[in-house]
Amino acid sequence: MGAAERVKNFLKSKTFTLLCILVAIMAFFWYFSANHSFLSVRNITSILYSMVLFILFSIGVSLLVIFGEFDLSPGYVGTAAGATLATILSGTGIPWFLVMLICLLLGIVFGLINAVLVNKFRVQSFIATLAVGSFLAKGFSYIISGGRAIAIDHPVIDWLASYKLWDVVPVTVIISVALILVYGIVLAKTQFGRSIYLCGGNKEAARLAGLDPKKLSYLLFANSGMLGAMAGVLFASRLKSGNLDGTNSYSFPAVTAVIFGGISFGGGSGNMVGCFLGLLIINAFNNGLTIMRVSPNWTGVASGALLILALTLDYLSNRRVRRQIGGKTS
Amino acid sequence: MEKLLEFKNISKAFPGVQALDNVSFSARGGAVSALLGENGAGKSTLLKILSGDIQPDAGSVCIDGEDRRFASPYQSIKASVSVIYQERQLLGAMNVMENVFLDDLHEKFGIVNRSELKRKTQEIIDIFELPVKPTDIVGRLSVAHQQMIEIMKAYRRGSDIIAFDEPTAPLTDKEIAILFKLIRELKERGKIILYVSHRMAEIFQITDDIIVLKDGQLVTTLRTSGTNERELVKAMVGRDIGDTYSNLKRNEIMGDVLLEVKNLETDYVHDVSFELRRGEVLGFAGLVGAGRTEVMRAVFGADPIISGEIKLEGKPVRFKKPKDAIGSGIALCPEDRKDQGLILGRSIRDNVSIPVLSKLKRGLFMSYRAEEALAAEAVRKYSIRTPSTDKRTVELSGGNQQKTILGRWTSDKMVTKVLILDEPTKGIDVGTKAEVYQMIHDFAATGIGVIFISSELPEVLNVSDNIIVMQNGRVTGRVSRQEATEELVVAMSMLE
Repeated sequence: MGAAERVKNFLKSKTFTLLCILVAIMAFFWYFSANHSFLSVRNITSILYSMVLFILFSIGVSLLVIFGEFDLSPGYVGTAAGATLATILSGTGIPWFLVMLICLLLGIVFGLINAVLVNKFRVQSFIATLAVGSFLAKGFSYIISGGRAIAIDHPVIDWLASYKLWDVVPVTVIISVALILVYGIVLAKTQFGRSIYLCGGNKEAARLAGLDPKKLSYLLFANSGMLGAMAGVLFASRLKSGNLDGTNSYSFPAVTAVIFGGISFGGGSGNMVGCFLGLLIINAFNNGLTIMRVSPNWTGVASGALLILALTLDYLSNRRVRRQIGGKTS
Repeated sequence: MEKLLEFKNISKAFPGVQALDNVSFSARGGAVSALLGENGAGKSTLLKILSGDIQPDAGSVCIDGEDRRFASPYQSIKASVSVIYQERQLLGAMNVMENVFLDDLHEKFGIVNRSELKRKTQEIIDIFELPVKPTDIVGRLSVAHQQMIEIMKAYRRGSDIIAFDEPTAPLTDKEIAILFKLIRELKERGKIILYVSHRMAEIFQITDDIIVLKDGQLVTTLRTSGTNERELVKAMVGRDIGDTYSNLKRNEIMGDVLLEVKNLETDYVHDVSFELRRGEVLGFAGLVGAGRTEVMRAVFGADPIISGEIKLEGKPVRFKKPKDAIGSGIALCPEDRKDQGLILGRSIRDNVSIPVLSKLKRGLFMSYRAEEALAAEAVRKYSIRTPSTDKRTVELSGGNQQKTILGRWTSDKMVTKVLILDEPTKGIDVGTKAEVYQMIHDFAATGIGVIFISSELPEVLNVSDNIIVMQNGRVTGRVSRQEATEELVVAMSMLE
């Protein structure tokens, strides 16, 4: 592929559309914010900080959506993991790293339950993960915590919640950015990542060509559960408590960001750059509205308008491509 | 007055290809006009313009001298045009009568009159002589019956202009006979009928005029009675390809037994046994639905096996998934290229490299260079027509799609011992078919055992070394090429 063609492809890509939206939003809020404070180091850090949990949830969901499945459970799994963390840390002498391991394993178990429902019982992943999340995982949070919030008092948790590199960058920001970077590279460059795209394009054709979509499905659901649990642990450490609502409300926004980032529901397309940009745009936009003292009552409407705008732009730029493939691939 | 359908100076371009270039011809009422041409000649585009699915860049469609421009399929149907596409457009979850009367559900005060609907549907079913009920769910019917229901829809509308796009592809001989009877009847009633097919025999059997297209241009229009097969092929391909089968350079060397299947039993097939030798081309003949595909899917590990024995190079094997079969050297090109063979949204390169991804790595990462080399080799070896390996396979013609799949299984990173080809020439043009036959024998010459499933008798009889005939999930005959005649194989595949 020649350089000119590469540039042409980039200008047509979703990434480019997202970058344009991002730059527009940045410029707008920079210009209108008091003292141009929108682009101060402090504010940028604060935007990134608000993205941490969403990044963790979105990575897992992104991989599944590219694979052609869906996951609505990780928010609830996060709550369950947070409640578990608080309960065990405060009630037993089990060392902190083991406790964290248990929490991640718990996430993996919920993910595997999703995978079993989807693969063995052929339940649609939308329904299966909603059921596992909003009933099983949510119920589990209540059972393990006895139905109340449990405070956490532990030095490692304190460190996780408050440590800042060079007194500026919170450690959780580093963790989340590092994770999305690693997952992005794995997805784009490795055999594993390629298999996800191929299965997302057409599972039966991929299977007949020697891939193992079933195995991949188990791995990806387990992965999404694990990342959900990890986010739950970080959330609990921020609150210093295993809260019963926890990260429940994060499930849908995470999915929204994934779609915003150009990862289409048909499967087989999208990437982590898009996912990250999608999250960045949504969070920067919300942050900007807050800085400009827009009433919180209106921020939801504004975010909705932004989402519709982005999806419309995406639709317009891809209309021709979609007509060619038709309904065949989805 | 005799009806007349005219295409006047039609042009249509798609990104990167001139699908139709100034095409003009006419079709008269009371006659069947064949549209003939290789894949990519522009036949489907013409039908889509006729149905209002797409609009031409230039030119017009005239009916009885009146300029008609259909902006949508709805307008075209209202103007008494029915186009029956290759891809069935049925509602699988609805029943036969709802599908047949989709746009006219006989409502009374806004409520569907079921008994009336049922009666009228039964009338049409009787005309079509089909063993289905108006209340049968369409998705559960056989593919052949679904195709007939698609045709019923057009028949029911009583359209003046009816276009068929490869209507017989999924049909068995029985339904083809019924279809031809219906077409003749429609013809006698003065309808204009367009008929697209790759099957020469049909063209001579049913059509009156032939319109030959090539690369989006009109080559010639002929009277069927005044031409012959050879002349047609020459017009389509642009050269005299002679007799496909006698020009075939056959592989004559056969080795020891490679694959042995004994008493295979699955949900679909019963007591199937056969042997395949190295370098052998083993044909599987039979009607659509005879169980040939199902045998191969079971051997390949795509469907579960109930009992039976499979030996590969003398060693018993039983594959749980296709991946394992591929690892042992068995490859399958499925019948349905678009749904099972290719990942249409991905490039040629991505489709070729799937089974050997692990051999195309540099360290942890996929090596673009190694993948590109592999795909470029396939493009070169099989002369796949494409500007680059980046082209998504959805944009390729049927023949080039098939070559891409063959490229996948025969790259130098694969160790394919058994190559199973399920209807590899379905829907591809005459010129490419001959290429595929030659490829089959070239594969055999390298010691690969080739299983060649085909529902087209002449090709399966002429290309294979030995032929196995199946019927209703059982093997009903085995013949060598020397013994095989069409009559014999038809008898084995249809008679009890």
